[in-house]
Amino acid sequence: MLKKYVTVAVSALALAGLTSAPVMAAEMGAAGEPIKLAMLEWTGAQISSQIAGKILEKAGYKAEYVTAGNYPHFQGLADGEISASVEIWLNNVGEVYPKVLAAGKVEDLGTLGLKTNEGWIYPKFMEEICPALPSWEALKDPACVGLLATPDTLPNGRFLDYPADWGSRAATIIADNNLPLTAVPSGSEGAMLSELRAAEAARTPLVMMFWAPHFILAEVEVGWIEMPVCVDQSNEHCIMPPDVNKVVWSGFAGKWPAAYQILKDFRLSTEDQQKMMLAIDEKGQSLDAVTTAWVDENEAIWRPWVDAALN
Amino acid sequence: MTAPRVRAWHRVWGGMLALSVLLVALAQQFPQLGGFPTGLVLNLSDWLNAAVTPAFEAARPLGVLLSALAETPLAAIRSALAWAPWPAAILAVVLIALYSGGWRLALFAAAALGTVVAMGYWPKAMNTLALVLVSVPAAVGIGFALGALAYRFPRTQPALIVMLDVMQTWPAFGYLIPLLILFGFGPTAGLAASVIFSVPPMVRNTLVGLREVPPAIVESALMAGARPGQLFWQAMVPSALPQLLVGVNQTTMASLSMVIIIAIIGGFNDIGWEVLSAMRAAELGRSLGAGLVIVLIAVLLDRITRGFARRGPRVMQARWLLAGLVLALVVALVLSGQDLLPGEQGQRWLRRIDGWLLDFVAWSAPFFAVLRNAITYGVMLPMRIGFSGSASPMVWGFALTPEITAAYVLVSAAIALLLGWRSPQRGIIAGFAALLFWTGLPGFPWPGVFLVVGVATWRKGGTGLFALAMGGLALAGLSGLWVPMMQSVYLCAVAVLICFAIGGALGVIAAESDRFSAFLRPISDTLQTMPQFVFLIPALMLFKVGEFTALIAIVLYAVVPPIRYVEHGLRNARADLVEAGVQMGATTWQMLWQVKLPLARSSVLLGLNQTIMAALSMLVIAALVGTRELGQQVYVALSRADAGAGLISGAIITCVALVSDRLLRSRSSIHRKVPE
Repeated sequence: MLKKYVTVAVSALALAGLTSAPVMAAEMGAAGEPIKLAMLEWTGAQISSQIAGKILEKAGYKAEYVTAGNYPHFQGLADGEISASVEIWLNNVGEVYPKVLAAGKVEDLGTLGLKTNEGWIYPKFMEEICPALPSWEALKDPACVGLLATPDTLPNGRFLDYPADWGSRAATIIADNNLPLTAVPSGSEGAMLSELRAAEAARTPLVMMFWAPHFILAEVEVGWIEMPVCVDQSNEHCIMPPDVNKVVWSGFAGKWPAAYQILKDFRLSTEDQQKMMLAIDEKGQSLDAVTTAWVDENEAIWRPWVDAALN
Repeated sequence: MTAPRVRAWHRVWGGMLALSVLLVALAQQFPQLGGFPTGLVLNLSDWLNAAVTPAFEAARPLGVLLSALAETPLAAIRSALAWAPWPAAILAVVLIALYSGGWRLALFAAAALGTVVAMGYWPKAMNTLALVLVSVPAAVGIGFALGALAYRFPRTQPALIVMLDVMQTWPAFGYLIPLLILFGFGPTAGLAASVIFSVPPMVRNTLVGLREVPPAIVESALMAGARPGQLFWQAMVPSALPQLLVGVNQTTMASLSMVIIIAIIGGFNDIGWEVLSAMRAAELGRSLGAGLVIVLIAVLLDRITRGFARRGPRVMQARWLLAGLVLALVVALVLSGQDLLPGEQGQRWLRRIDGWLLDFVAWSAPFFAVLRNAITYGVMLPMRIGFSGSASPMVWGFALTPEITAAYVLVSAAIALLLGWRSPQRGIIAGFAALLFWTGLPGFPWPGVFLVVGVATWRKGGTGLFALAMGGLALAGLSGLWVPMMQSVYLCAVAVLICFAIGGALGVIAAESDRFSAFLRPISDTLQTMPQFVFLIPALMLFKVGEFTALIAIVLYAVVPPIRYVEHGLRNARADLVEAGVQMGATTWQMLWQVKLPLARSSVLLGLNQTIMAALSMLVIAALVGTRELGQQVYVALSRADAGAGLISGAIITCVALVSDRLLRSRSSIHRKVPE
């Protein structure tokens, strides 16, 4: 096996010398061994992962999908048990990721290309009862705050924050602007979605921290609060759209060089991802069918990545 | 009744009460007496990490070896189950059910597995089954070996029992990080957690089984010239077999309840993963379907293993079973490779449930808002911030004026004295209750907590228990987790009170009516085996994020033990004494309160004990709906991969569980077997 690769490598080098091509094609590497892609908990990441895998299959690789929890899976990436994870939200990586990145056990391949958003949202019907929305000034209006108050937060309004284990800056932003709100940690993503759905169904007021793209935004109509000017641009006092990157195991480039190139070029647009999320989560179509359809219909997008890596 | 005698311990507790009152009064002036002083907090988790992380990393080669050992059979079983077409697999299981439990069980097996196929969960269910089929033999093997060794060396038994209690009460989320470091990413870390949790019932049943081997059997074996090995394997083990099979049964159940923990790490695409994903997307229908699969597998495995434990005639002979299994294999070979699974129809049906739930939420929101506010204002806030905190214009609509304070002190002193006149014990209890109601549980001065817990454990359990309790409290204080610990105790205390009110009443009715009992049993079974995550979604939609929803989730799980134990105790009350009560013309009400319940006292206390254990075990899951107690600390530690912090939070939960268990157990001197 190895000998064959060496020959291929040598002849490729010779060829490159002869034609003096500007880009050198990458090796296939261990194409017989499956590339293990992480399937994280949320639909968006599963779509990104399946599409990446199907493109790699078109290039002649074998892809395998490993279901994995977001936090524990960084250990798997560091050990090579998982080869690649293509949708990592850098605002929610826990504390293992920075450590293994610093130790050189994983490699960041740059952005996935999703246009993200993060901020404070409310169900759209609230604009009827708090007319100052979407301006943040609405949250200073006692009448509006009174509607948000609960026994746990009286006399303040209740602000539904990210779960305690995600890290949060709502409390500092509330303090920076003297808002009469109390941030309540939500415990889990499921808890946030349940609250948003129930608020929409029962028309109870709610203001909470959230992010996009997310499938629930296609289901519940929400408004984004126009935030006050940040005290400073630090992560503590200011909400900025998070980066979503692709990360691979440190041995990836050596084992599957062409796949490494493909993943490096791989991009997915927010619109496409959102359409697919809707088809899966709302219309009940299968993940496999939806992503296969995307790959079949968008050869113009991914063919150049494969060609650039192989030819 | 004669005049009450004032005993020595009345004086002790009277003194404690006086001291506590003094502390509460002083805490108004000196806030450092209220919460644990922050100046004393040490950076324990960093120290622990410095010790634990390198140790586990050093043991990594061993972990890699073990995980290779575990994953080879796992992969083999998984691919075998994935290969077998579902009609063949169902045929095989139905035949085993028929052999083990007869026609009704076989029918149930066919219906249950058919439901799994129809809902579209068959492949995931098979992956879950593969996990159980690896973890149960491992747990049974380890448990049997430990139990047999402990039987051979009786001196090790006290230490072993403590270890088993720790294994059963330590929240698995608390030690997942070290396991992840040791075994790396993959199902092995989850399997290890599952084995740790499910070994104890096997050890306990092995010990009981070996102890209860009739001496006559041992003697006759010895007289027949049996060597030690022969005596053990050919005389004692067969004689203890029914009890051992009970152990296998309980180990299987414990192992299934850990399926979700394995899924937290991921890597296996099983039913637990499906429950977690559905919870994450807040989809009730999908999570209910996946939860139902776990319940069905649990009930099937339970009935089948129990059927094997039963002695008596079988519907069919073993060789017919064998022939049937060969037939199933033939069916599998014929059908293999064909795609027989139904499409997405079942999943679409499940999704409809979500629409119904939202309609219900929209329709019932005003009612549930009133319920939530009533319990929050009436029960939860007073227990958390006490009368002194609740008496404000914000909460109860009136301010805490000096007059109101004076009135509260006078009224509670009067009640305590009045009750104390008849019985000093009641007076002291009333005094403490009034004091707690004033401060709220988390606000009770910390030196007072040390004092009261110290005296209680010293008197009831001696030095060992005293050291455990003081160690746990000191750990909570020094690691900066005093407030979360008191929050946990408060949340569990409220939950246990509600569980006993509801569960006790249901148990009483079930003891009176066979029909109600039969109606209640499947509900209880479902509440205990359905993954709790499933209940969180509707609870969240109706009651919003926060402590109240956490309380509902805890109550739904912990309400089962009081139902079972109260019913069991009442049904088994001594018939002659009950008869005597009837002869004396007692009314139904008098019979219940003055005859039957006192007779059932030890069973009820055991039920209380189990309720507390169940409530504590739910703390970590309740953290998913946004609480501020120890369970949340365990989660935060898990996401930060902070092994030390996770271990400390877990250790404190275990201490609380063990101390309350031992305190209650020394009261109920009669140990009884767990009723079903």
